[in-house]
Amino acid sequence: MAGVLLSEAEKTFILHGVQSDLRNDGRSRQDYRPIELELDIVTHANGSARVRLANTDVLVGVKTEIDVPKPEKPEEGKVEFFVDCSANATPVFEGKGGEELATEISNFLASSFASSMSFDLKTLCIIKGVQCWKLYVDILILECGGNLFDAVSLAVKAALHNTMVPRVETVAMDGGNVDLQLSGDPYDCWRLDTKNMPCLVTLSKIGEHFIVDSTAEEEECSMASLVFSVTDGGRLNSLCKTSVGSLHPHTLAEALKVGVDVGVRLNKALDQALAREDRRLEADKPERFGFLK
Amino acid sequence: MPSDNRRIQGPEVSSPYCLFQSGNKNVDVHSGRSEVLSSRKDSRKFMEHRKIYLKTGVVSQAKGSAYVEFDNTKVICSVFDPREIPNRIEYSQHGELFCVFKFAPFSCLTRRAHQQDAQEKELSLCLKRALEPAVCRHEFPNFQVDIYVMVLENDGGSLAAAITCAGLALADAHVPMYDLVTAASLGVTGDKLLMDPVEEEESLCQNPNKENQNHGLITVALMGAHTQVTQMWQTGSMTAACVSDALTHLVQICEETYPIAQRCLVKSVVDTISKKAQ
Repeated sequence: MAGVLLSEAEKTFILHGVQSDLRNDGRSRQDYRPIELELDIVTHANGSARVRLANTDVLVGVKTEIDVPKPEKPEEGKVEFFVDCSANATPVFEGKGGEELATEISNFLASSFASSMSFDLKTLCIIKGVQCWKLYVDILILECGGNLFDAVSLAVKAALHNTMVPRVETVAMDGGNVDLQLSGDPYDCWRLDTKNMPCLVTLSKIGEHFIVDSTAEEEECSMASLVFSVTDGGRLNSLCKTSVGSLHPHTLAEALKVGVDVGVRLNKALDQALAREDRRLEADKPERFGFLK
Repeated sequence: MPSDNRRIQGPEVSSPYCLFQSGNKNVDVHSGRSEVLSSRKDSRKFMEHRKIYLKTGVVSQAKGSAYVEFDNTKVICSVFDPREIPNRIEYSQHGELFCVFKFAPFSCLTRRAHQQDAQEKELSLCLKRALEPAVCRHEFPNFQVDIYVMVLENDGGSLAAAITCAGLALADAHVPMYDLVTAASLGVTGDKLLMDPVEEEESLCQNPNKENQNHGLITVALMGAHTQVTQMWQTGSMTAACVSDALTHLVQICEETYPIAQRCLVKSVVDTISKKAQ
């Protein structure tokens, strides 16, 4: 992905490490690297979050705008995911270089949030068939150190948790025109229900084993990787094989169990972190860290 | 995105008329549910695949081509000679596949645009990932093979049909391969599994009926001789047990369609030889 060059000997070293359940940074196969999470860091966005997963850095901003619902779904709002693989992360992304990866991530996110059980778009409706909220979820990849899918999904879920949608006070239909009155108080907002929203878990197969949270070097050694989108309750919202290589059906079935198990734990950890962040923000003077520490 | 002004553009915003028809199935998805749960409209069994028609060598000017029909789902695919990867400076050790998946403008209930939309881009990538493991890419380093898939008519399972079709077209184009790829799709709604759903059943599977109900679609591509899953793509929301159950059914169906694809290739070889003998 990021164009890491590894020799055969280095690859064998990583492979042997995975075999003996001790990776070259000291983790076991199912350990994540330390994750940093910060909420509400962009003032102009309705919700924002930054996730740093060791060397992977992702910034997500959510903007809300008013739009007309789709004619086939008159009572639903809209949500769109945009991924920007900026050349800041790696020169490979320069020009159209990051486009394929960006569409892959944004499409996968869209299909994982598509189920109405995870994200009920009906809550974003203002007037049926006439007006609705549209959420623009913009994902900026600042640094790319492996395991982009997981980091992006954590940041997206956190940013959506942080999103404040302004409350509509009155709606009047004047002829064919809609007259919206929003609350004058900028803090008079409601928040989205993120309980059932999924997190993504990438499992990479190195040798005979699956590992979570692979570094860029490990991604280079992996023959096949699977991305799962798992909700809090252990349900699968989306699943896709993302790299070159194929898997035996038995291996796939085993990976399924591991993926769901890891996903449930990841969701739990994120929920705790979000609650902690909320408490910190609610305190009178929230301690401000540097934007990019 | 630059607009294509050589084509006659429709009005900026238009909506399909079927939304306004009475008894519109898009608005009232749940009406057909109880019917589907008892039996299927085309009187198939729940685990029965539609009839498959395969043909290779349909486009004379392409290096290889194939045509696949799953009843009303019709897909055509052309594969062209390897060429150097455009706009690439560094040397790539493995050859690349360049896949374009496109719905014909008239193939679906609503009109599709001429330019690829997000869904088509996603399906293109899925197709590429499904074919990559089957092709001996080290045989043509620094070259790419172009694969163009066009869905002429979509009645569900177009990705599965496209993967099978592209696999056959690659073989027909004499691209070195480890194995043929066949694919199948399956819909889940509640505790019912529907093999190879038609479009109506697909839209039924995309909407949950009540809370905590399994729903969604799964497509699996398989290399039959090696029993290797080359692609698995699931959407919706379901439990892991449901997914692995569906996986076993899908692998079984893919293995059943594998000999059909083989026979189709054998037939095309026999035809070519007998033509040359004349």
